[in-house]
Amino acid sequence: MSRSRAAQLLLAAAGLALGLLAYRVQVDNLPEPLTTQARALASVVAAWAFLAAGLVAWQRRPANLLGPLMVATGFALLVRQLRYSHDELAFTVCFLLGELGWVLVGHVALAYPFGRVTDRLEKDFLAVSYAVALAFPLAILLVYDPAERLRFLDPRPRESLLSVSPSAMLTDTFQDAFGVVAYGLLAGVFVGLVARKLVTASPRARRVLLPLLLAAVAAAIWALLNGILTFASFPPPDVVYDLFWWQIISLVALPLALLAGLLRARLARVHVGDLIVHLETTPVDGIRDELADALDDPALELGLWLPEQGEYVDASGTPFAVPEEGLSRSVTRIEHEGEPLAVLVHDPTLREEPKLVEAVAAAARLALVNARLHAEVRAQLETVKESRARIATAADEERRRIERDLHDGAQQRLVALALELKSAQRRLGEAADPEVELVLASTADELQVAVEELRSLAHGIHPGALRQGGLASALGALASRAPLPVTVDATSERFQPDVEATAYFVASEALTNVVKHAGASSVTIRARRDGGMLVVEIEDDGEGGARMDGGSGLRGLVDRVESRGGRLRVESAAGSGTRIVGEIPCAS
Amino acid sequence: MRVVIAEDSVLLREGLARVLADGGFEVVAQAADASELKKAVRRFKPDVAVVDVRMPPTQTDEGARAALEIRAEQPAVAILLLSQVVEATHALALVSERPEGFGYLLKDRVLEIDDFLEAVRRVGKGGTAIDPEVIGQLLGRKREAGPLDELTPREREVLELMAQGLSNRGICAKLVVSPKTVETHVNSIFWKLDLLPAQDEHRRVLAVLAYLRA
Repeated sequence: MSRSRAAQLLLAAAGLALGLLAYRVQVDNLPEPLTTQARALASVVAAWAFLAAGLVAWQRRPANLLGPLMVATGFALLVRQLRYSHDELAFTVCFLLGELGWVLVGHVALAYPFGRVTDRLEKDFLAVSYAVALAFPLAILLVYDPAERLRFLDPRPRESLLSVSPSAMLTDTFQDAFGVVAYGLLAGVFVGLVARKLVTASPRARRVLLPLLLAAVAAAIWALLNGILTFASFPPPDVVYDLFWWQIISLVALPLALLAGLLRARLARVHVGDLIVHLETTPVDGIRDELADALDDPALELGLWLPEQGEYVDASGTPFAVPEEGLSRSVTRIEHEGEPLAVLVHDPTLREEPKLVEAVAAAARLALVNARLHAEVRAQLETVKESRARIATAADEERRRIERDLHDGAQQRLVALALELKSAQRRLGEAADPEVELVLASTADELQVAVEELRSLAHGIHPGALRQGGLASALGALASRAPLPVTVDATSERFQPDVEATAYFVASEALTNVVKHAGASSVTIRARRDGGMLVVEIEDDGEGGARMDGGSGLRGLVDRVESRGGRLRVESAAGSGTRIVGEIPCAS
Repeated sequence: MRVVIAEDSVLLREGLARVLADGGFEVVAQAADASELKKAVRRFKPDVAVVDVRMPPTQTDEGARAALEIRAEQPAVAILLLSQVVEATHALALVSERPEGFGYLLKDRVLEIDDFLEAVRRVGKGGTAIDPEVIGQLLGRKREAGPLDELTPREREVLELMAQGLSNRGICAKLVVSPKTVETHVNSIFWKLDLLPAQDEHRRVLAVLAYLRA
């Protein structure tokens, strides 16, 4: 058992004993109707409520001063009961300290939930209240004249150990003044402070602070009750007994409500499980709302850390300034592998529920790390797609360049050469040696064949017609060279060169496949725009059963089309022909 | 007949000039790019401009565009375009607009010197010359069952030559048959394709091309 635990047990035992003693003192010293056994017991129970709530709070929230403060309040309220004793020492000490109990009730209320009073005005109020609660009883004890009845006490005379110059008039005056200052002024200010706290609080803090209404009610009843007892005739009217019970009820309820508020996080943590499940399906911009819900803090802000920029941003990407830890906002940083991941800016009342915040932060970490991984994978995929498209573009560009070089370079030269040869041949005419004539003729013919081969080679690399006449023209040329009937139905619209090239190669590769494998008797090639897509379609009436795998060249086509961000479909049921559909995105 | 040649390859340009000169043409100017071509045509007002489709600086279709401008400015100047690649759509669009004095040949055709010279001559006289491959593409495209299937192989040959812009006499020479035979074939083709017989060669080319393109 830890030392604090032992201390707490000891305090509980002492409180129990003191309570019993307080009950005895009341019953023995106060005649009815000033007290009854029931009312004596009720007073003790109210004090025990503070004691018990304080001890539980102390144990559960050791760092929070509210627990000890409530325990002290319990003791002070018990001590107050002991002033009814006729023992002169007990009377003097307990009368002197008796009013502290109520100030402590106010102190507990204002210190809730952090156990500290931070507001300047509240601090001043408490300082004045403590001073008043000590100064007036001291003053009264100094001038106490046993001939004068002390308010709330029985008329039998007591002995003040502090008496210096007994004066019935001063005793009376001081008691009246105390009544006005304590019940009128301080109780009123207290109710006002509670109201101010509630009005200015954030929505979450307001819900947390709701038990303070009980304190305000208790204080108001206390003021009313004591006002009546101070200024009404003796014996007091019956209404004070009704008020007494209301006061006891609010006084018992207050510490229990405060304790409940303090421990609410235990209940809230049950929801963290739900939170993790929710967050799994929540997009990044919805995470804040889920967290705000779980923490019951609508004003919660979430900043996401961007390692490259070295700053926090909100879900919309706007830079997010992390406020100083302070009275109005509290900051919880979420880290992952030693690096900042995010920051939660939340209501300071949540500082009292560190376990809850920790659990929610852990759930958020999970979701955010997940989201970050997703984003990274997406970004990488995007990069890969881009580089794939770049490679395809570069390859197309290279094909175009080679084709141009062949036409403009080698082919031109060969044609020119062949032309020279042919015109030389013609000039020689009849004069030529038949053998020379033969060599010239066959060389010229060979050159002509070379030119034609070169032209068709260049065309295979990149159809020049595509550049000048577009898809319709190039597909027409393709069809005319095919060894089987090909019908072309193509749009005359022009597209970007790489889009046209991709569509053309889909058609030409598919046609090559048909010729090689399909055993078809006719083929139809269609090319049309469909929204933002250029759709090219090659349909034959052959055997069908074409497959993506193997050496069909279809795989290469798929790669080619996908590198442009498009799709390629092959419909080829055995026996019912093959239909290949390529869809290539094209800007409108 | 006065000719201007526009061709960026010096070797080929000189070759063409020699072939044309040997063929009895007067080569009045040689241009290495489109602007030189336009200047030369304005200055010499030739009968025919033989123009390479691709020329500097972009090596795409400068020649073709310059030729179009010349046709618009000086309709009297006939144009023979030489292209590295066959571009049926483009060629047909040009010829359909106005077939008189227009030709479109694959560059390799210059090696068939006689045919080439005949094409230049034909175009210069206001006729038409369309590359056999363009016609081949048109015929290749029309494969659905129809009147074309009813043509005999010989009639088909005659049809192709008609479409290329050859006159009856040209066809006679090409197929080495008598004018009478050619005329019979031509009439048979027109009858089979349900076309009105046209004596005018421009109309004949247009009608045949229109039929093939439809």
